[in-house]
Amino acid sequence: MFYRVGQLIPVFAGLLFAAGSATAAGTGSVKTGKLVYERYCLSCHGAEGNGQGEAAEYMAVKPRDYRQGTYKWRTTPSGSLPLDSDLEHTLLNGLHGTYMPTWRALDQRSRRDVISYIKTFSPRFATEKPQDPIVIPPDPGYSDASVARGTAVYKKYNCSQCHGPGGQGDGPSAHELKDDWGNAIVPYDLTKGHVKCGDQSTDIYRVFMTGLAGTPMPTFADSMSSADAWDLVHFIQSLSPGYAKNMMAAAADRKTGATQ
Amino acid sequence: MTGKGSLRVMLQVALFAVVTFVFVSPASAIPAFARKYSLRCTACHEAWPVLNDFGRNFRDNGYQLRLGKDDTVTAEPGYWPVAVHVLPSYTYTKVTNQPTDQGTKTLGSGGVGDASIDLLMAGVLTPNISFLVVPTGFASDGNVHLESYWAYFSRVIKNSDWLNIRIGQFEMDLPASSHRNLEMTDSYLLYSYHPSVPGGANISAYDMGENQRGIEIVGHDRDSLTRYAISVFSAHDSLGSSNGLSSPSFYGHLQKYFRFNEGPVSQFELGVWGALANYPTQFLTSGGTPIPGSGSHLQSSTRYGMEANLWLGPLVAPLHLDLVYGHGKDKQDLFAGTADRAGTFNGGFLEAIWVPPTDLLHWSVFGRYDVIRNQNQPLIAAPANFNDQNQWTLGMKYTIAYSIRDEVALHAEVSSNKAKGVGDGGLDQRTDSIMFGVDFVY
Repeated sequence: MFYRVGQLIPVFAGLLFAAGSATAAGTGSVKTGKLVYERYCLSCHGAEGNGQGEAAEYMAVKPRDYRQGTYKWRTTPSGSLPLDSDLEHTLLNGLHGTYMPTWRALDQRSRRDVISYIKTFSPRFATEKPQDPIVIPPDPGYSDASVARGTAVYKKYNCSQCHGPGGQGDGPSAHELKDDWGNAIVPYDLTKGHVKCGDQSTDIYRVFMTGLAGTPMPTFADSMSSADAWDLVHFIQSLSPGYAKNMMAAAADRKTGATQ
Repeated sequence: MTGKGSLRVMLQVALFAVVTFVFVSPASAIPAFARKYSLRCTACHEAWPVLNDFGRNFRDNGYQLRLGKDDTVTAEPGYWPVAVHVLPSYTYTKVTNQPTDQGTKTLGSGGVGDASIDLLMAGVLTPNISFLVVPTGFASDGNVHLESYWAYFSRVIKNSDWLNIRIGQFEMDLPASSHRNLEMTDSYLLYSYHPSVPGGANISAYDMGENQRGIEIVGHDRDSLTRYAISVFSAHDSLGSSNGLSSPSFYGHLQKYFRFNEGPVSQFELGVWGALANYPTQFLTSGGTPIPGSGSHLQSSTRYGMEANLWLGPLVAPLHLDLVYGHGKDKQDLFAGTADRAGTFNGGFLEAIWVPPTDLLHWSVFGRYDVIRNQNQPLIAAPANFNDQNQWTLGMKYTIAYSIRDEVALHAEVSSNKAKGVGDGGLDQRTDSIMFGVDFVY
């Protein structure tokens, strides 16, 4: 009897084949995205998308609460929703120094699906559209002179109040900061050789202009010139001992990632 | 019953117990990583313990996520890289055409097995140097042995993923892992099969699915979609030769994954693999007993083949089909003078794993069909189909609970193996098994 039952395996496989569902072309599938979310994201971000997953209480940097539609890393101006490509950028790069890993090993279809599902947590995505990305002028190039000017920009905008005089995240206000949800939040240590939202120079520049929504890091789009911003980028890069190596690795990753 | 008859029955029962103990060995999943990174088991396992793409990449990267939280000094002080895995289970096995004093009989045996446990210790010692140590055993016999122990050096040259080195005792980079498979009542026939002379011996104990001691060079692209692994090892249960390396053996595997952003096929993989395991066949002796390390006249067991994997539906909840084909050859001298020629065979398996797209992915359904067909019997007079085998397995697993600390699942499985001419009087022999267990790891 056992042996005969085995003959049914091909039939069983055929039924499963027929049951296999395909993702709709072009856009992500919310239904499949829910499964992707449950497989990879649920433990931190929670079933309700409120950042209260089972692991959240053990984390110094709390997982994002998706319900407000506010995201730290965006190419869009302050106050705007992010683009889908912005969310995918975070999935591809992770957030260095936090528990958010890179999900590069996932296929693009899964990333697309989970982005569609994550957007369902906030009603804003149903009623608003993201604004156009900010324009980033070309990097004039890293130089000692630019770093020196960047040092002055760092002082002018009082960055040391939070990030500390040496950029180590130990400024006078560092221990008083809270995010929009009332959680204590620590300014990023800029001397670790990585920047949380991406190691590319444009990633750093973008943070000055978009701010980090939901955190005390404001946008300087209305007050900081692009020249000052680039000098500040170079100053921050100068704080990282492994700057040159990390920048090259990030560039290589970005180039490879674009092909997937 | 005569004393001789009792002995035979006892031997058969002991055989069943051994089969149960060996086949129902815990598979590896390591919740120490789940604790460390606050991820559920599902992040790395397609269907626990089978790795998915993320898990494969994590393993290839030396158990590192590379976001500043990998090495031990950056982990929480309370973190301890140890996990425990146990699988209490009931297994019943029935084997036909067994010799007894009362004639040819079918014998069956079942019960809750003497479960062993795995202590899974793994992690990152310092950036790009990781480790795995797995003591296993602790059953009523009190035996404990190290199933795996290795150190892994990632990105050895210029921050490249294309050169990583593992040293120790480890599982070869197989087409389908025999330590992370879902089936518990049987093993991959292709990995362990040897042509045989009826009633004779085979010096080679090479089993692709067994962990081996040696050095492995592994390389992969950033997402582990193109991979290679080359191993040099000393085949297990070899007494060793008199050359510098102890019976040097080799294994290699090359894989390429293809992804599709539209349509029912989400991923496809092709791979080729090959192994050459050497065993010495002549020894110096002491009192007639071979002296370890004195062997010469190395003879090989070779295995080579290819595999194809297909993922239908979304990768997050796929129907995963794995087809593996292989050809094997054991040289004539491995049969200790009882063979007329080398023994050759073809074999393979088709494995299916389905993760139903239900909430929280609690279910997995799996099945496998193994085939062995002898090509050249080492004894010319033996029937051409002697020990040809067909085997199937069907099972399902329901995960009762996932967390970032542990996982517990119910496991049910049936399997059947049919081997030509190996039963009493040259009859075919069938082995049927059924198993229920609670698989938990914490």
